[in-house]
Amino acid sequence: MDADSPFRAYEVERRTRRQRWAYKWDLYVASPLRVVWSDWRTRVGVLIVVFYLLMGTVGVVLVPPPETNQGALHTQPFQTMAHPLGTDGLGQDMISLIVHATPPMLEMMLSGGVFATGVATVLGTLAGYRAGRIDSVLTTVMDMATAIPGLPLAIVVATILQPESPWVVGIVLTINVWAGLGRSIRSQVLTLRESDYVEASRTMRIRTPNIIARDIVPNIMPYITINFVNAGRIVIFSSVALYFLGVLPFTNTHWGVTMNRAYRNSGALYSLGASYTLLIPMIAIIVLSLGLVLLSQGADRIFNPRVRARRSKTISDSEDPGTGGAR
Amino acid sequence: MHWLINRLGRAILTIVGTVSLSFVMIRLIPGGPLDYLRGQIRNQNPGMSSDAIDALVEAQAAINPDQSIVEQYVSYMSSVFQGDLGTSTWYGDPVNQILIEALPWTLFVMALSLLFTFAIGIGLGAVMAYKEGSRFDYTFSSVSIFFNSIPYYVLGVLFLFVLSYQMDLFPTGGRSSDAVPVGFSVAFLLDALYHAALPVLSFVLTRFGFQALAMRGNSINVLGENYLRAAKIRGLPGRRIAFQYVGRNAVLPLYTTLMISIGTMFGGAVILEEIFAYPGIGYYMFQAIDARDYPLMMGAFIIITTAIVAAILFADLTYGLIDPRASGGETRETY
Amino acid sequence: MSPGKDVVLDVEGARVQFEMDRGVARVLDDVDLSVSREEIFGIVGESGSGKSMLAASMLDAVEDPGVLSGSITYYPSPDEPVDILELSAEELRQLRWEEIAMVFQGALDSFNPTLRIGQHFQETLSAHNVDRQSGMERARELLSDLYLEPEQVLASHPHELSGGMRQRALIALALLLEPEVLVMDEPTGALDLLMQRSILSLIKKLQRKYNLTIVFISHDLPLVANLADRIGVMYAFDLVEVGTAEDVVEGARHPYTRALLKAVPNLETPYAEMQPIAGRAPDPVSVPKGCSYAERCPLADDQCLDVHPPYDDLTDEHRVACYYPEEAPAAIPLPFEDQSVERPDDPPEAAGAAPGKEGSR
Ligand SMILES: Nc1ncnc2c1ncn2[C@@H]1O[C@H](COP(=O)(O)OP(=O)(O)OP(=O)(O)O)[C@@H](O)[C@H]1O
Ligand code: SF4
Ligand SMILES: [Mg+2]
Repeated sequence: MDADSPFRAYEVERRTRRQRWAYKWDLYVASPLRVVWSDWRTRVGVLIVVFYLLMGTVGVVLVPPPETNQGALHTQPFQTMAHPLGTDGLGQDMISLIVHATPPMLEMMLSGGVFATGVATVLGTLAGYRAGRIDSVLTTVMDMATAIPGLPLAIVVATILQPESPWVVGIVLTINVWAGLGRSIRSQVLTLRESDYVEASRTMRIRTPNIIARDIVPNIMPYITINFVNAGRIVIFSSVALYFLGVLPFTNTHWGVTMNRAYRNSGALYSLGASYTLLIPMIAIIVLSLGLVLLSQGADRIFNPRVRARRSKTISDSEDPGTGGAR
Repeated sequence: MHWLINRLGRAILTIVGTVSLSFVMIRLIPGGPLDYLRGQIRNQNPGMSSDAIDALVEAQAAINPDQSIVEQYVSYMSSVFQGDLGTSTWYGDPVNQILIEALPWTLFVMALSLLFTFAIGIGLGAVMAYKEGSRFDYTFSSVSIFFNSIPYYVLGVLFLFVLSYQMDLFPTGGRSSDAVPVGFSVAFLLDALYHAALPVLSFVLTRFGFQALAMRGNSINVLGENYLRAAKIRGLPGRRIAFQYVGRNAVLPLYTTLMISIGTMFGGAVILEEIFAYPGIGYYMFQAIDARDYPLMMGAFIIITTAIVAAILFADLTYGLIDPRASGGETRETY
Repeated sequence: MSPGKDVVLDVEGARVQFEMDRGVARVLDDVDLSVSREEIFGIVGESGSGKSMLAASMLDAVEDPGVLSGSITYYPSPDEPVDILELSAEELRQLRWEEIAMVFQGALDSFNPTLRIGQHFQETLSAHNVDRQSGMERARELLSDLYLEPEQVLASHPHELSGGMRQRALIALALLLEPEVLVMDEPTGALDLLMQRSILSLIKKLQRKYNLTIVFISHDLPLVANLADRIGVMYAFDLVEVGTAEDVVEGARHPYTRALLKAVPNLETPYAEMQPIAGRAPDPVSVPKGCSYAERCPLADDQCLDVHPPYDDLTDEHRVACYYPEEAPAAIPLPFEDQSVERPDDPPEAAGAAPGKEGSR
């Protein structure tokens, strides 16, 4: 194991900087993307997410913001070119409502994702790498926080704080997502810590922050990425629910609020005629959520070859535990 | 033994933490419940002096103004742990009385949901793994992923819209019919199931796919294990291999998922109960939020957390019964 | 094959193929081999050479999607051939473990982690309709033969046993139904050296006590040489040299066998210290049409590259798939043959890495 790293150093020396970048590009960007693209489900996921990103950036420029009496009240969808998806009970264009709700949604997802994975990574790595007392304290704290139900806690905090900024809402909604995630990052770091190459780095007296940055974090990065996406999905689910039920303070541009209005004011539940005001935001939510699920499952397939089909056809995949194990 | 005490201690610590958290949120956060109450009284009695308002607030919130914040904390904690969650400002009844009455209904819906989610997930996942790569596997993987991406409450609202309001097949709210007397009768049980059906269905349909995919992955891993190959060559009957080998080993990791599911489902129950107007804990939590009834809100939160902690503790303690490797407990990495 | 010998297992033209995107991988390439009753037959070869495939073939246990063809004949008695590949599912189920048992590679996880060791014995007995009482009696005897405490081991879960204990318990499980033939695939792979040696002596002891035929597979030529009566050397999915242990170790005639031996300065050197042979083994999807070792062989000529060498029967027992068995000893001299104890030269890759190694210290 000691011999590995000098060998690595020797290899790197021989490569030019440019080759090194090309190699990194291929390893971390190009080849994962190729794998992503090869599976149509993941491909659909990527396309959906890109679509929403465009909607939240370019879309808001192209589509006018929603206003009351933009059109006639309750225009049915597919009736007029002016309002292809119709208008709601206040005469707001449905497309405007959906499109202009995207940026705050993306902001919430981003802040929630960064908050949850950031805290989890710091605490999980610290606990896993440091072991001893720090570990047992952090682990206990994380276990406790995991047991507190996230959504009710978020509801309570949201009720009391009444946050308005999407960035704060994102954090409130992921208020204890970090706990469970941090716990599993800790287990992974613990395993990595015992692995040969980290051991090797330690015997070579490489400083701890460097080991963490060089050997540990790159290895848990895929897992963090997947959970970043999952945290984003939690934010969608919870934010829509809480805006829909009126727990979070009113804002005009949120799919949950659009649903709420359809539900409460337009009577979408009772009348078939108004149901589109409820269905359209629902579809927006389901499609984005589907995109994220497909994306994270695809990522999981790339990073987690164990789940990869047992009978897959390439020879490199056939490392069954029987033959791959010994020496 | 040490492990058991450790687990119990941790559970109790979690509950203490939750209760403390609720104390902090009610008493200490600026713009929180007390300020809200103060504002309300001021609006209703414009001429009142602020001292008088403060006195009223303290009386209403059962705060003893002579106590320091620490003393207040201690008395809050001790009354909560004696089962006194305060009085609902909206209903005027003791909070624990309201919630104790509601709790069994929430547990009923949760238990049914968990049961069906895991039964369907495990069964389907196992079959998918056995038929890995087949059309069946492919179809149900896709179906699982699709249903998994629908928020449970969105499905709930859809059900309510289509099945209850439009087609009139299911009730639009409530947990049993007035016409059926409460009691241990078949009619009552059926009526309760009828009312719980849509909330349960909303949960099960949006979550079974997750379990199925997890079970599928686990089973595929087990199918590649040496011990499975050895069992086949030893000529063990297919049934024994399916249940004792693949089934048992693939289900074990789901136990962790089960523990997490208890928490997320309980959280979800809060929202579903509100949507289906199903008077369980979550429903009252929302009533409390609408009415700014903080004792009831925090009471519901504390009860939910306690229920989850108890469920996780139970799952944790019984895990050793199905996984011999966990009997020592120390080495297990779950949660 | 060799008539007059009491053959217990006869493998002819055994071939295993996998269909892959890149083409068809032939990971066992028309192997011929016969194992005599009550001998220990050792199979050696480098990783990926097809040893496990050959072992699995002997029980018709090649895993999907691998397809096994050829013929495997088992002789419970000399004039009672059983064509294993023609058996019905139920007949095959009975044959396995009752007649031919197997200890897998990666034996450490051959036990179901959720069952006790004893339950593995019991379920095996009832799957083969053997009386529980006498069967468990035998299990206890086998376990004590292997220096295990029967009651304690039977009541344990697999994770409660050490690697060596688990390995021995697995051997006992393999012998539970009194099989004629025991196939052991890398049974000492995951054990430390001391444990390896003690298991070897146990295997010898068991072989004598129960009159077993053993097929013993390993990477480790010295280890096999100590144990086996005859040895087959595998290279690139086929046997390239077969002979008595003496033939193969002291009179090796195939350049690959000689290279293997040369890689080990003396027979006691553990595998871990062996130096790899330069070059790579062929890809199973495109095995060269000539000799599969030609790319690495110092003796290779045009004939070697063009036409697959047939077996050259040097003696009744000793056969070599090579055109130049007579020239091999001179071309690839072995250190112990001329009594020199020098270590062989470092192979090229190792030499290439060396400067870096010095630099970092
Ligand atoms: N499922 C599979 N699909 C395709 N090729 C396979 C599969 N399993 C094994 N192989 C290939 O078959 C060849 C022989 O494998 P085998 O397991 O018999 O090797 P081995 O000699 O036992 O090696 P080791 O010493 O590492 O156990 C290898 O080249 C391997 O890549
Ligand atoms: S046949 Fe030719 S290439 Fe093959 S081993 Fe013999 S000499 Fe070498
Ligand atoms: Mg092998």
